[in-house]
Amino acid sequence: MAATDLAIELLRASVLAATPVLLAAVGGAYTYFANVFNIAMEGMMLIGAFTAVVGSYFARSWAVGLAAGVAGGLVAAALFVLFAVALRTDEFVTGTAINMLALGGTTYALRQMFGVRGAFMSSQIRALPRWDLPFGPVLGGHPFLVYMALVLTLLAEWHIRRTRFGMRLRAAGEDPKTLDAAGVSSSAMKAWSIMISGALCGLAGAYLSLGYVRLFSENMSNGRGWISLAAIILTRGRPLGILVMSLAFGLFDGMGMSLQGAGIPAQLTQMLPYVATLAALRIYSLRQKL
Amino acid sequence: MSTKISGPGVRMSSVVKVYPPDVLALDNVDICISPGSIHSIIGENGAGKSTLMKVLYGITQANAGHIEVGGKPVRFASPRQAVRAGIGMVHQELMLIPSYTVWENVVLGAEPVTYLGRVKGEAALARVGEIIERWGLKLDCSAIVGDLSISAQQKVEILKLLYRDVQVLIMDEPTAVLTPQETAELFVRLRALNSDGRTIIFISHRLSEVLDISDEITVMRRGRRVMTTPNRGLSRADLARAMVGRDVVFSAVREGDAALDSSQRPPQPSPPTVPPCLEVRGLSMTVRGRGRPVLDDVSLEVRGGEIVGIAGVEGNGQFELVQAITGAVKPDSGSILMSGQDVTGASVMSRRRLMCSVPQDRKLAGGAGAMSLVDNSIMTHHRLRPSLSSKLTPLLLPRACRDFCARLIAEYSVVASGPDAALSQLSGGNQQKVIVGREFSHDVDLVLLDNPTRGLDVGSSEFIHAQILKKRSEGKGCLLVSADLDELLSLCDRIIVMYEGRVAAEFAGSEADRDSVGRAMLGLGPGPGRGPESEGVTSGR
Repeated sequence: MAATDLAIELLRASVLAATPVLLAAVGGAYTYFANVFNIAMEGMMLIGAFTAVVGSYFARSWAVGLAAGVAGGLVAAALFVLFAVALRTDEFVTGTAINMLALGGTTYALRQMFGVRGAFMSSQIRALPRWDLPFGPVLGGHPFLVYMALVLTLLAEWHIRRTRFGMRLRAAGEDPKTLDAAGVSSSAMKAWSIMISGALCGLAGAYLSLGYVRLFSENMSNGRGWISLAAIILTRGRPLGILVMSLAFGLFDGMGMSLQGAGIPAQLTQMLPYVATLAALRIYSLRQKL
Repeated sequence: MSTKISGPGVRMSSVVKVYPPDVLALDNVDICISPGSIHSIIGENGAGKSTLMKVLYGITQANAGHIEVGGKPVRFASPRQAVRAGIGMVHQELMLIPSYTVWENVVLGAEPVTYLGRVKGEAALARVGEIIERWGLKLDCSAIVGDLSISAQQKVEILKLLYRDVQVLIMDEPTAVLTPQETAELFVRLRALNSDGRTIIFISHRLSEVLDISDEITVMRRGRRVMTTPNRGLSRADLARAMVGRDVVFSAVREGDAALDSSQRPPQPSPPTVPPCLEVRGLSMTVRGRGRPVLDDVSLEVRGGEIVGIAGVEGNGQFELVQAITGAVKPDSGSILMSGQDVTGASVMSRRRLMCSVPQDRKLAGGAGAMSLVDNSIMTHHRLRPSLSSKLTPLLLPRACRDFCARLIAEYSVVASGPDAALSQLSGGNQQKVIVGREFSHDVDLVLLDNPTRGLDVGSSEFIHAQILKKRSEGKGCLLVSADLDELLSLCDRIIVMYEGRVAAEFAGSEADRDSVGRAMLGLGPGPGRGPESEGVTSGR
């Protein structure tokens, strides 16, 4: 009995841990197909997490928090578009700058606005509502963004594969000059893909600070944006593949937490999902050489 | 011609285009293209014909001048507006998404969609299929474009324009990548479109083709229109004189038609006893993601004092063969010997001691655009020539390098402001002369040439051809890969044709003619048989 309880608890934790990675990676799939090297997901997620807490705290409403999270991600994405697309700066350098700005900026704002260091908690922060869906012990009773993430994944798959937008998006990534010659601006498609990625990273951030936990802490995205990037590259941007990769990451994340209870130092167990990601990348590179 | 229904005519008047800072690309050009005609525009590289078409198609804007289409004044800010006004262009480099199917490429930018934004695949497929049927294009709608031959891809480009119901078609050097048979097929198609009333503007520098297809011919030189004339009683010499501005003696090297005079070819000096400077034995290579091997048991020999040509439609393994010989890629099996030494596993540098090589892409592999002529000219020599570096230290001697470069500039008549000019400041022809000069100054027995005159004007090409012939008379062995069949026919002692990674045929220089080499390039046997028409379909799986 205790063993099944433990297993259910582990799987629940996996689903919860997988969601932010999934949300960010689905957004990143758009930039992947538009051939934008989007390493700013980490920063956009962190900014989203912070603005979500700010919105939720001041308005005392989870909905405002969610909207503020998305807005935060969009502002960061707009910055990316302004530099990398409109002013044609290097994507890698711009993305790095946004990540550093996000880390420093949210930490600074946290200290200035709330006068705390490390983490900000308050009962005024309203969490995302949980949906008690009859999906059994593992899938039921999660914050509603978990379910939305699943729906968005399916939608993205359809959107990228079947629609006019998707067709132009993939064309922009594969051969921008050809798309321009067909009378569609490839830069505009790239900008759109970054904005979509920003919005979804904002959602992922809001989920972290209002769903997964109910606080903001410095650097709380903690590498999840990078894991998303790895998931995208591993699955070549296919949303359904990303879903599987995110769940695998979530499982290792959950496993790490369970092992902590078994007396293994936390520093080691927290490494588990990242080590697993590295291993997956290596396996992928081996497979690619064949 | 008077009875057919005519598409719109195009009139461009006093068009001026300046590329900053001071290049006058179009100098007050007036041109009138009659409705429903096939109008050719010819000129050397840099004569302004491409710029003129870019202005007409809205890719670039003129600094002054007027354009009228069908009698109405127009001004296109983008190709999209030009297409809406019924003008379409098939670019020299094809504008297609390789991983998309034929129909997806055709509808891209003008997709039929449901109100949710879903692309109506079935409707598009039907519409595209209808156009293919109507014009007898023989394409498979669902084939992946990247798998098609170049000529089939060109048909997709034409299909794109027909889908948008374009009435004026601009064809920018469409025959540069085609075999003679494919060119003939293209001309049949263009005439069919023309007799349906469409106006066709044909850009080329191959005079015989222009004389074959045009109703009217405009000659451009240095940004000016030199003449426009109906195509009646003209000869190649007339056009060449107008293009170059002086009489051109047709050497064996240019415009070699089937009637090429073989007596102009220098006699082959080498007896077959000369040891080969290059032996390739059973070379095979596969690349991930490509179904069939890119090289399939290729064997060939080049002996001192001969020029061996490699012909083939682009993408049939020539590029990979060159890469394997230079050491840029490792073949899966087979061996390569240079002057009797096995270099199969040798590094690029150790091969450079035995061969010199003019690569296909001068910007990417030939030279460093931003660096000076001195730096570009000493590349490789800086390692192999003791005279360039000091005896005691590994440092280069700047004066020796400059002298070396200055000699090269003089010897290869490079037009440049001096040895310190950046390579990219030179014209394409002069850049290529620097690269050819650098490689040819390297005294080795094997000379590898991959499309050495691609994109060059007549004068520079002639110069480089003369240098190649000189190398041969010095007893060097040359392997010449070229997409220009005329070049191969006029220079080579033997021509090897590659098709799908294999050696498909070999011709002695004296017995090679455009037709038989062209057939081998298409993978067809000798003599009449399956026409090139069906080729686009079969290679599309």
